[in-house]
Amino acid sequence: MKLGLLFKDELHGFYKSKVMIFLWIGLPVIALLFRFISGASTGQEIPFTLVSSIVVSSIGGTLASVMLAVFLINETNRHVYDLFLIRPIRRRDIILSKFLSVYCCVAIASFIAVLAGIVVDFATTGTLSSTVLTDAGQSLANSLSMIAVSCAAGVIIGIVSPSVLVGAILVIYGGNQISVIPLVPTLLNLPEPTILTIVIAGVVAASLLAGAVALFNKKQF
Amino acid sequence: MNQNKEFVTINNVTKNFRAFKALDNISFTIQEGEIFGYMGPNGAGKTTTMKILVGLISNFQGEITIGGLRLPKDKDEIHKLLGYLPQNVAFQDWRTIDHALTTFGKLSGLNETQVEDRIPKVLELIGLADVRHKKVSHLSGGMLQKVGLAQALLHEPKLLVLDEPLGGLDPLSRHQFKGIVQKLAEEGATILFSSHILSDVQDVADRIGIISHGRIKQVGTIDELKTRLVHQKTVEVMLSVTSDKWEKLSAVENVSQVTQPQPGIVLLDLKSDADEDQAINDIVAKVVELGIRIRGVWKLEPSLDQIYFNYVSEAEN
Repeated sequence: MKLGLLFKDELHGFYKSKVMIFLWIGLPVIALLFRFISGASTGQEIPFTLVSSIVVSSIGGTLASVMLAVFLINETNRHVYDLFLIRPIRRRDIILSKFLSVYCCVAIASFIAVLAGIVVDFATTGTLSSTVLTDAGQSLANSLSMIAVSCAAGVIIGIVSPSVLVGAILVIYGGNQISVIPLVPTLLNLPEPTILTIVIAGVVAASLLAGAVALFNKKQF
Repeated sequence: MNQNKEFVTINNVTKNFRAFKALDNISFTIQEGEIFGYMGPNGAGKTTTMKILVGLISNFQGEITIGGLRLPKDKDEIHKLLGYLPQNVAFQDWRTIDHALTTFGKLSGLNETQVEDRIPKVLELIGLADVRHKKVSHLSGGMLQKVGLAQALLHEPKLLVLDEPLGGLDPLSRHQFKGIVQKLAEEGATILFSSHILSDVQDVADRIGIISHGRIKQVGTIDELKTRLVHQKTVEVMLSVTSDKWEKLSAVENVSQVTQPQPGIVLLDLKSDADEDQAINDIVAKVVELGIRIRGVWKLEPSLDQIYFNYVSEAEN
């Protein structure tokens, strides 16, 4: 199973990277700072759980997609993939392993940030309202859906972009806009918005990945 | 070396990059167990040929078979047969040598036990056993090149494609590298390697292909290429003392012209239909008859440098 091997391999590379360390530690710290600054200026205590979710969805998705695009562009330009492509593996496995490993790392980072929010809220208030927990759960689902689309956009941009600069610009101005698509049910107040968000995100991310695989299969190295 | 069986056949292969014709109808074969040196100037088409062979470039015209399998149809099967060292080998920076080799070994189809068995052997062979756990980002260019060779050798491929493998290596490493290549060929591997360093090609290649402007100019053994190039048979005689009697050597049968480029050195051009061995005997007899002592006599043959420059400059013109 070459996909499994490549996935484990990529995960090994990502989880120790500086960007991942920032996501795993930095996201909860930023959320914590944001909460206290916001609380001090407005005089209202916003539940940390919700703050964490907002931070995760806004920063996590962007970082993940930029990371994927930059890794793909750099590694293609340095001919890192040559040694993979001359072996009996499917090209799509290289792309999917990259997507899955980054997505898993960011998903874990998001989970840690939201969990930190729950712990801080419980520690400061001594209680957790079910509304806050439900909102946090929905917010996490929305975040992970947006991050999935963002990552898939990062992959396709990484394959088509000739340089890191072009890739970064496309991710920031294009990838982030696409990642909002799953939030349409929430914005339109449709029933069961969270489930619809997850479904739409799955379809959009899968379509983008299919396009990325098709382009990568045609690419000449 | 089993020179009777063709392992690689390249037949009328053409590759265009938009308006640029990188390969123009090239054809040649590589025998099983042979070391084939691929020479040509920058941009001649060496790397393109190699990338097509290893499946990195798949849209080309023409036919290629490797071990009886056709490209690109049987690419997966062919990938099990080959090892490839690219011109600029690169690994992800976070990998250690051990990690990189483990991954590439497994991707080539080796199991855990085989990988554990092969990595120390290959690293020992290329002299990197003591840096197995070093990060590739901390290696010098030469060491990186060696790791590149290691990943190509791990699964004991039947065909090794080495693109400028000696670039960036110090003289001792180059010597070791050539030894490894020769040993692998003796064990039955077929090897295609490109190089700008003509002496390296001469040292290890059984046959040579010269490519220029996307066209194969010559293919053959060094001796065959020399024979094809030489139109004038010349014998050089080195005398032990300078003598003004050298002009009398023009009287030797089958000698068309005698010159003395420098004192003590005499060049004798032979007639085109002359028997060289007989002519050398006659020349020696004449020199002895003239009472001149001889230090040496030999046929003048072009070096690989001369062969290369002749065919490449012919293409340039």
